[in-house]
Amino acid sequence: MYVTNGIVIGVINAISAIGVSLIVGIMKVVNFAHGEMYIFAGYFSYHLSNSLGLPPVLSMIVAVGFVFLFGLLMERTLIRPTYGDDMYSLIITFVLSIVLQNLALLIFGPYPNKPPNLVSGATNLFGLFHYGNQRLASFFISIGILLFIFYLIKKTWFGKSIRAISQDREMSSLLGVDHLRMNMFSFGLGAALAGAAGVILAPVFPVTPTGSSSISLNAFVVVVLGGMGSLKGCLVGGLVLGIIENLGAAYISTMYRSIFAFVILILVLVFRPWGLYGQKT
Amino acid sequence: MKKTLCLTLILLFALGSLAFAQNTVKIGVVGPRTGPAAATGKAFEEGIAIALDHLNAKGGVMGKKVEVVFEDTGGVPEKAASALERLATREKVPIVVGESHSSSALAEIEVANRYKIPLIICEAWHDDITQKGYKWVFRAGPANSGVVDFYIAPFVKANGFKKAAIVRENSDWGAGIAERTEMNLKNMNIPFVTLKVERESKDFYTELTKLKGENPDIILAYIYGTGLHFFISQASEVGLSPKALILDGAGPPSLWDSFWKNVGNAGELELFMSSMHEKVHLTPTSRKFWDDYVKKYGKAPTDYKTRSIYNVVLIAADAINRAKSTNPEALVAALEKTNLEVTTGMVKFGLKQGSYEYHQWMPPMLVVQWQNKQQVVVYPKEGATGPLKKTK
Repeated sequence: MYVTNGIVIGVINAISAIGVSLIVGIMKVVNFAHGEMYIFAGYFSYHLSNSLGLPPVLSMIVAVGFVFLFGLLMERTLIRPTYGDDMYSLIITFVLSIVLQNLALLIFGPYPNKPPNLVSGATNLFGLFHYGNQRLASFFISIGILLFIFYLIKKTWFGKSIRAISQDREMSSLLGVDHLRMNMFSFGLGAALAGAAGVILAPVFPVTPTGSSSISLNAFVVVVLGGMGSLKGCLVGGLVLGIIENLGAAYISTMYRSIFAFVILILVLVFRPWGLYGQKT
Repeated sequence: MKKTLCLTLILLFALGSLAFAQNTVKIGVVGPRTGPAAATGKAFEEGIAIALDHLNAKGGVMGKKVEVVFEDTGGVPEKAASALERLATREKVPIVVGESHSSSALAEIEVANRYKIPLIICEAWHDDITQKGYKWVFRAGPANSGVVDFYIAPFVKANGFKKAAIVRENSDWGAGIAERTEMNLKNMNIPFVTLKVERESKDFYTELTKLKGENPDIILAYIYGTGLHFFISQASEVGLSPKALILDGAGPPSLWDSFWKNVGNAGELELFMSSMHEKVHLTPTSRKFWDDYVKKYGKAPTDYKTRSIYNVVLIAADAINRAKSTNPEALVAALEKTNLEVTTGMVKFGLKQGSYEYHQWMPPMLVVQWQNKQQVVVYPKEGATGPLKKTK
């Protein structure tokens, strides 16, 4: 049971982390406003389905679409001028994160909002324990998204260009890859992945305006754990974090659940700073 | 130039507050308007508005209009302490009421004591708030010991529950009320387990799985805020409730507008503490409050903290009226002689020092159960509107 919950939460962690990894790996930009993309997508899907009456699945897709567009816009206006200077982009995304948090408080109010469940009830797994159906649904959707991303990055022309840019920006532009457009697109995709995690998890854990920092933090821990820019690392890192959090809470103490993430982060930084699957530089 | 500008501004402010001081009497309020319990701030605002309408319609206090200055604490002790300090020094209010977080209240009473400003707490339950014996601190609201000794523990015993689980958040309120509950359960020979959880936790699957192994038939949930909603819906997902009934030891989160949306059908048969029910009106003031609320907001009140803040604003105004001054010593003397009807009964503060009952008045409470989305009072017997429902 503890492991199952760890795996489910871990896979969803991974999606949000891949978004960060994509942006860090390709653009060398640390996006502090990552958690806000998650929160906004959660709120969008809530309002699209509850206030406008769209079917839940459609509102999830539209919400992620909105966040994707927002990501494109953000890259074009705020991030692009900062290329070449990591410090500037760091500060800009940090400020943006605070602005967006307060904006969410202003627009959506302090109450947590929960989009409708896709499914209700619980299933008896392996005859051992009951597990919420909504969580299972979230799990399978996440697996689907993960497979899609792996395919996109490993098999398509887009993925090849992205990997080329992350290896050698100048060489790839000489060979005809439009790196500005690629940057913009991958930033949008990174934001959309945070959004996807948001809409998937919001029915399980309703979103609040101030909930974004723990989400960003989790994503960064997973990325550091798995190794910067590694997709496989994100998945494994997400799973490890999810399982350790749950086992730790079960067998050590429920009070210190979120401390485990920090302990892992510190241990990895001390003993294996390039992460599980990252490249040693 | 800058200096002159600053000076002018300061003078303007000074003049402004002077002008106010002449025509109005200010009452300070502290409470969370942001943070995880921001809903309490909303409840407070509504209660204050109704109290002010009521007081000013009767000609105010000492012939002056009553005004409220509401400072946000965010539910954070440091912010709470500075909020009270601001009320005492900048706003210069003669008396402060409110608060709903024990951790914040424990910080505020120190400030009240330092600035010698009377403070009436309404919804922070930790025993120490009054047990510390501060002359300036009063509480017209529940105290952990009172709630557990007179309501929660007798309720558990009267309904023949065989094993209890205490789930408590890591806050001063959670620690205090859990400790008192453990003591009572031990005395009644009812076995129990205690589980500590994080106040801002969202995922309780691990905790709930642990609990399921213990097989309790009543869960005393001391979690405040939306965390409680997650707890209830997840308890039903893992199949722990409604076999084990859940009692929300605080109450208001079970009545928030978002409750049913967040918990779905898992809310059925859930129990919660309350001091308010549509059909239970202990005093004429209670009836008047209900009618005034419905008239002003076009719906029935849900969060009982609306009424708690209404009560303490009335108590403060009554003390100023009887003291005929805003002198803090005179106000404390007047408060100690309070004999006022509010929505929950006749307020009379305890005067014997040395226990939580000093400067404390405990309103009667109710244990309410959601049955088909209707609130049914199931304890105490005198106030019950129906029997407790359990699943077979």
